[in-house]
Order: sequence, then C-alpha cells, then structure tokens
Amino acid sequence: MTRSSDSASGQCALHNCISIRYLRVWQFPAAVIVMSALLHVPILQAQQPKVSEYQVKAAYLYNFGRFVKWPPGLAAGKDDSFPVCVLGRDPFGPILDSTLAGEALEGKPVVIRRIGRLQDAPDCRILFVSSTEENHLKEILAAIDQAGVLTVSDIPGFSRRGGMIQFVAEGDRVRFEINLATAESARLVLSSELLKVAATVRRTPRSGD
Amino acid sequence: MFKAQNHSISRKLTWMNMLVSGAALLLACAAFIAFDMITFRQAMLRNLSTQAQIIGSNSISALLFNDPQSAENTLLALRAAPNILSAQVYLPDGRPFASYSRDRDRHSPVLPPIPSGQTETHWIEDGQMALVRSVALDGKPIGAVYIRSDLQELHTRLQRYALIAAIVLSACLLAALLISSVFRRAVAEPIVHLSEIARVVSQEKNYSVRATPIRSPAELAILIDAFNEMLAQIQQSERALRKAHDELEQRVRERTAELETAKKEVEEFSHSILLAKEEVERGSKFKDQFLSTMSHELRTPLNAVLGFSDLLADERYGPLNERQQRYVKHIHTGGRHLLSLISDILDLSKIEAGRMELAIESLSVDTVFGEVLSAMQPLADTKSQSMSKNTEAGLAVHADSTRFKQVLMNLLGNAIKFTPNGGRIEVAARSVEGKVRVEVRDNGPGIPPEEQQRIFEAFYRLRESGKKTEGTGLGLAITHRLVELHGGELSLESQVGQGSCFYFCLPAAVTVREPLSRKTESSSISALPARILVIEDDRATAQLIQSQLTSAGYEVMVCEEPQSALEMAAQFQPGAITLDIVMKPRNGWEVLSQLKRDKRTAQIPLIVVSIVDQPSMGMLLGADEYLVKPVNKSTLLGAIRRHVSIRPATAPGRPILVVEDDAATREFIAELLSAQGYAVATAADGAQARAQVAASLPELVILDLVLPEVSGFELLGEWRASPRTADLAVFILTSMDLTQEEQSYLRTHAESLFNKQEPWQGALLKQLERVVSLGTPEKV
Repeated sequence: MTRSSDSASGQCALHNCISIRYLRVWQFPAAVIVMSALLHVPILQAQQPKVSEYQVKAAYLYNFGRFVKWPPGLAAGKDDSFPVCVLGRDPFGPILDSTLAGEALEGKPVVIRRIGRLQDAPDCRILFVSSTEENHLKEILAAIDQAGVLTVSDIPGFSRRGGMIQFVAEGDRVRFEINLATAESARLVLSSELLKVAATVRRTPRSGD
Repeated sequence: MFKAQNHSISRKLTWMNMLVSGAALLLACAAFIAFDMITFRQAMLRNLSTQAQIIGSNSISALLFNDPQSAENTLLALRAAPNILSAQVYLPDGRPFASYSRDRDRHSPVLPPIPSGQTETHWIEDGQMALVRSVALDGKPIGAVYIRSDLQELHTRLQRYALIAAIVLSACLLAALLISSVFRRAVAEPIVHLSEIARVVSQEKNYSVRATPIRSPAELAILIDAFNEMLAQIQQSERALRKAHDELEQRVRERTAELETAKKEVEEFSHSILLAKEEVERGSKFKDQFLSTMSHELRTPLNAVLGFSDLLADERYGPLNERQQRYVKHIHTGGRHLLSLISDILDLSKIEAGRMELAIESLSVDTVFGEVLSAMQPLADTKSQSMSKNTEAGLAVHADSTRFKQVLMNLLGNAIKFTPNGGRIEVAARSVEGKVRVEVRDNGPGIPPEEQQRIFEAFYRLRESGKKTEGTGLGLAITHRLVELHGGELSLESQVGQGSCFYFCLPAAVTVREPLSRKTESSSISALPARILVIEDDRATAQLIQSQLTSAGYEVMVCEEPQSALEMAAQFQPGAITLDIVMKPRNGWEVLSQLKRDKRTAQIPLIVVSIVDQPSMGMLLGADEYLVKPVNKSTLLGAIRRHVSIRPATAPGRPILVVEDDAATREFIAELLSAQGYAVATAADGAQARAQVAASLPELVILDLVLPEVSGFELLGEWRASPRTADLAVFILTSMDLTQEEQSYLRTHAESLFNKQEPWQGALLKQLERVVSLGTPEKV
C-alpha cells in the first residue's frame, strides 16, 4: 500500500518536472515575438543615417590595429602610448578624434598625431598618408622602412607602390587592398582574418630597393 | 465453483507477476529514456553553441570590415551539419549581415535580445531548436550569430528507444509469464490441491484422505502439514467418538436388558407386596375390630361390676356386715384395676399401631396442673403426702388436653405410689428456649441407675414395688409414648435416696383459652332464664324472632343498630346472640368479626340467622351456628338450646330415656338416676329407643353408641333431622374409642359426651343437674 503510493507520487513528481520543462520551452517563443515587436522600430531607424566615408575609414584605422601584431621590441621602446598619425592634410577632421577617443591598441592608449615632418613618422605605429603627400610617397615610405609602422592611405596604387594597406571604393562600400610583402618586410604580422576580408592581397616588394 | 477458484488463484498469480514486472520495466524504460533525452538534448545544445561560437569568431573581421561575403563563406561550412536548418550573422544593431539556409530559404528571423550578462540564449520553437550567440571583440559586441537546428535526431533517437523498450517489455512479459507458471506450480497447485482435499473432507466426510506434502514454500508446507495433522486428529477423535458411541449403544442395550429384568423382578415383587399389603390390611382391619371389640366387650361387664359394687357399698339396699363390705370393696378395687389395665393395654396398642390421634390445642399449664392436682389429691391424702404446683403465669402448651392430663396423672400416680408416707411431690413448669419444660419431682427413695435404663419398657416394674401389685407396669411406657407423640421426650433424673424427677418438654403456645369457661359460664347462669341478644335491623323480622324466643321462656333484647351491637353485647353479656347479615350501615360480617375479635364478647355463642346462604363464611368468621332464612321456630330454638345449654324453666316431668344394650349397665344407670330422683325409662336397642321416642318425647336421652341393629349415631342423626326431636337433649355414654371426626360430630349434635373408660358417674349426674330441671323430680 505504502509502496504503491510512494511510486505514484514519484511518477507524479517526474510528470510535474517534465511539464514545467515544456512550459518553459513553449513560453519562450511567445516572449521572443513580443520583444522583437518592441525592438523592430529602433532597428529600422538605425539603418537610416548615412555614415560618411572618413567615418568608416577612421574606424578601419583602429580595426587594422586589432589584426596587426607589431614586433615586440619596437612597441616597448617608445613611450606608453600608441600613436596613430596623419601625414599631410587631414581628411578626417574631428571624426578621427571622436572615433578613436578612449580606445587602446597593443595595451596602450591610442593618441592621434597630425604630423608635417617626415622625421616624426617613424615614431608612429599607424601612419595615414594623406593624398596630398602623393608626390613624396617614395621618400615617406623610405623614411619609415624597418620602423615598424603600418602605413595606410587612399592614394590610388598605394599598395602597389610600397604602401601596406590601401582603401579602395567598391560601390558604397569602403574596402582595402593589402601588400603583404611590405608589411612582412616591416616585421608586421597581419592576421589571416584581415587578409580574408581584404579586397586584394598582393606581394609586391617596394619599388626602388 | 472450485474450478473457478483454481483459475482465479493461478490467474491472479500470473497477473500479479505480469503487472509487477511490466510496471517496473515501464518505469525503468521511461526514466532511462527521459534521462537520455535530456542528456541528448543538452549535448545537442552544446554542439549548437559550439558551432555558433566558431561561426562568430570566424565572422569577427567580416563584421568589423563589413564583409558579408566573407561571413557567408564562413556560414557555408555549416553544410557539413545536416541538422542545421539555417544560420544568420547579425550586426550589433540587429540588421542581418549574412545568412545560410539548408533549404535555400533566405528568411531572416528577428532576434530576441540576449539576456544581459550572458552571451547566448536558446529556445525550442515548432519542433526546432534555436540559439543566438553574441559576437564580441575585446568585450564589445560587434554582432550576433543565430543558428537553428531541427530535432530530427532527437526524434529518431526517441523512436528507436520506444521500439527497443517495446521489444524489451514484451520479452520481459513473456519471461514473467514463464516464471509465473513456475510459481503456479510451486504455490497455486499445492493450494488448489489443498482446497480439493478440503472439499472432499467437508462434502464426503472422508477423513482418511491426506494432502500431498511439499517441501517449499515453507509456509505452504507448514499449512499442509498442519492440515494433515488436523485431519489425522479429526479422524482419530471421530474414530474414538464412533467407538464411544458404539460402546454407549452396547451399554444402553445391556442396561435396557438389565432394566427389563429388574422391571420384571420389581413387578413380581410389587405383586407380592400387594398381596402382603392386602394381608397386612386385613390383619390391621382385624386388629382394629379386635381393639374396638375388646374395649367395648371388656369394659361393659366391668362397668356393671364396678357400678353394682358401688351401689352395694352404698348400703342403699340394706346394711352390709363388715366382711361383706370388705368383699365388695375388693370387688370394686379389682374391677378398677382391671379397667385401668385394659385401658392401658388398649392405649398402648393404639399408640403402637399409630392410631392414637391427638386433638392439639393451646392449654393453660396452670389450669391443667390445678385440675390434675385436685384429681390426685385424694390419693395423696391417703399417704399424707403434700402436693404442690409451681408454674409461671400465662404459660401455655400445644397439647391434647386429655393426653396431657393422662401423662401428668401417670407420673403423679407413680410418685405417690413410690414415695413414702408424708413425702413431698411437686409438679412444675417453666419456659425453656421456646418450649415448656414440665417436671414431676418427688423426694422418694430414687431409682438406681441400672433400672433407669429399663424403666420406660412395657410391663417393667421396680423391684421394690413387687410387693404391692398396684399398677399395670404400662403407665410409664404409655406416658413415654404419649410425650413422644407430642414431640417431646420423657427423661429421668434420679439418685438413690435423693428422690426422682421426671421431666419433658412440650411446644409452647402463645394464647391460652380458658378450658371449659363457656360451660362454667353457662352453668353460672343456669338458674336464670337465658338472655338472648337479637341483632336485626328489620323491625318486623326482629319482632318475629323476639316472639318465638319469648314464648320459649327466653329474655330477649333487640338491637336494631348494627353499629352499637358490640357495645350492647359487651354490656349485657347475653347467653347467645342471633345476627342478621344483610344490614346497614354495617353488615353482619363486620359485626360478626367485631364480636369475635372483642375479648368481652368472643365467647358468647353466636347464631347467624340470615337469608345469605354462606355458612362456610360464617363459620370462618367464628359463628357458632348458621341458619338460613326462613327459619322455623323449632330450628331456631334448637340452635339456641344447643348453645345456651339451658332448658326453659317450664320443665315437664318427662322421664330420662336410657338406651343401653348391656342389661347390667342399663340397670346400673337406671338405678343411679333413680337414686337421684329422676324418672327413668329404658331401651335395650336402637329400634326400641326409636319407637319410644316416637311414642312420647322423653326429657333427655342417655345414648350408648354401640347398639345392635340401629346404632347410636343413626338414632342421633334421625332425631336431629326431625323438627320434633331436633331439640331433644342427648347425652352420649359410650365405651367406644372415638375418632376426631366422631368426637366433633357428637359435640355439635349431642349435649354431652361421657366415656365409660373414665369415671363418668359424677360428671353425668352433675351435667344432668344443669340440664334437667329438678323442679319436678319424679320418683319411680
């Protein structure tokens, strides 16, 4: 008698357990639909503002830094900052500052420097060469050769001419080309992830050597 | 019925086995499958989560550098997992970035938010499992991966499990069925067998069958053993019972035969007893006849001897010389002795034959003592002995008056006889433990111990008394027997030279009726005309009764108010009372009981004269006579006369008729009465008496009972029945031994009764004086 009632209550407990589980499982989709209905409007609105070209490029500058490894001795030799420099006329304006403000790379706070002299260039870790400097490109690249500086520019043919990363436009999208040979010669290691999303990866050594 | 039970027990066993094993197995399967499903589902979820993670980390750069193509390439790797229905990569703002679908269904669902603090969430929807995992870089979310999998594998697994469970279950049930058949053999079959044996025992009463013993299970084995044991005991006891029954029947048969024999013997014996009884009855009857003949035939001549010797001694018929006087005296003394001897022998015979009847009544001891002493005084005087009585006042005994006196007289007579001249004799009584102890004591020579033992034997005499031949030697024996008849025992205390004391105990009585008080009362008023109180509320009736009584010479008082009757009766003390029954305000029954309760009036004779015919009721309440109206004059006067016992003053000089068949006795009585101056007529038998009375009414009749041809009883009955002779005064003088009934009959129908065994002459003359007026004595 006692035994049979025990087993019955045991069965009952087990049944309850299962039913509770089912309840949870079937309650969840309902919650999902309600939540998504609420979230629908802000998602559509977020698509609306048009992001400017240099805003995207500023973000890319920072993102490049996340997929690149600098040679260890180089990074430690300088002071405790990670300088991102713009050489030539600054096409970003305040957007660069606002985009990179408070960010860090290689464990160091990012600082932005707008430089006019070539001598300051080797201290930079990422160097954006403005299109205004297209004519001095050969001297600039030579000056920072071996200095462990990631060079980025939107000058056409930049990667073919010894630059490392060159922005290219592909419709609305901002894409980039990578010259792996120059980066390797500067002892920079680019992540395969970065290479995977690059529009073109070339291995053209810097001309003029 | 038994078949059904057989089936039921084995079927039940099978069902039980199947149910138990089936239930256990089902439960186990369910638990196992549930556990496996849960585990498998968790594994699936883990797998899904891993896939989402891989896709996420491979999509980081695509997200960062806005390269959906790269992300889609990554997603395409999911083709290797056929369970993945679709997968999407989303931007942080929720826009779809890249997607993959197994069925080319490019549908991008809206993502649920991931709970804060977690990196992924999952749910099950439409039988599919969905999982969202956020993609982050340096702790910042840069997108999300949505991955959706069907549960086909789970379902397949479940189906497979169900199939396995079903197979296992059937296999197990089959096994249980087989096992239960084994159980049935082990458990059910012994029980079925046992029940079959029980049926045989209970229906056929066959106790010789036995259940087949088994070794296991232990309980059943014990049960079967106990059952067999029980059967054995029953069989044994039944056998014993049957044996006992057979024995009993055998014994009954034997006993019946014995009884038959015994019965035959008893019948024979009882027949012989019957014969013997008839013999005894004949003998007893003969003895009775002999006794009564003896008493009559012996006494009658003796009475003549005694009477005539008395007459001679009186010198009424001429003087006797000294020698003649002496001889006459010898004749008289010898006659007396012979008479007492005969009386004693007859008494003793009567006692021995159990024919002595006692008329037990309450007797005042003092009164009886007085009478006995006065009777014995003359004898004591002859030896100058002093006699005294010593008794407590009001002491009374239950005894027969005559026999009690006889006892006392015998003892006193002995005392007088054996005590020397001038001795002292005392009779005493005292109450001892509800009894009355009576003693007769003398200061004579006493009785030696060796003689004390034999003294109560018949015909035993003390040696000392051998010189004188007084006494019969029967006195003490009779006395002893008489005391025994009264329920006591006569004992003796004596020492030689110190005197003797005879004593016995009698049952004590409470009330004492003064014996003879009525007689004395009536005799006291004999000189006066009797006064009669008539209680009658009807004036005419009262006058009639009054005139009837007055004409007969009675003084009459009439009481017309029954309520004052008691006071009148008490005040005037009438000689008799007549009482009516139907009266108001108080009826005659009440007055009767009142009068009989009151001491002052209880002894006054009461005659009920009523129209109510209930004599028994009247007698019960104490009425002395009961007359039913209409009452004629003679009947009324007869009744009054019987109770008042007085003749009216106007007495005619009619003769007294002596009816006596013995010539000598007849002559003696006639002589005795004549000597007293009465006129006497005689009749020698009943016929003569009847004729004489018919011819002329005598003054009084002295009637012997034993007469040739017509007995005294017959004459008395005739006379009482006739109105003419209803009032005739009759004295009975007989030597016959009377029974209680005869005595009571005579007391109510005759005026007086005298027994020839006792000295009767004096008493007869005395009574005659009372009844017959001497106013006109007539000499013959």
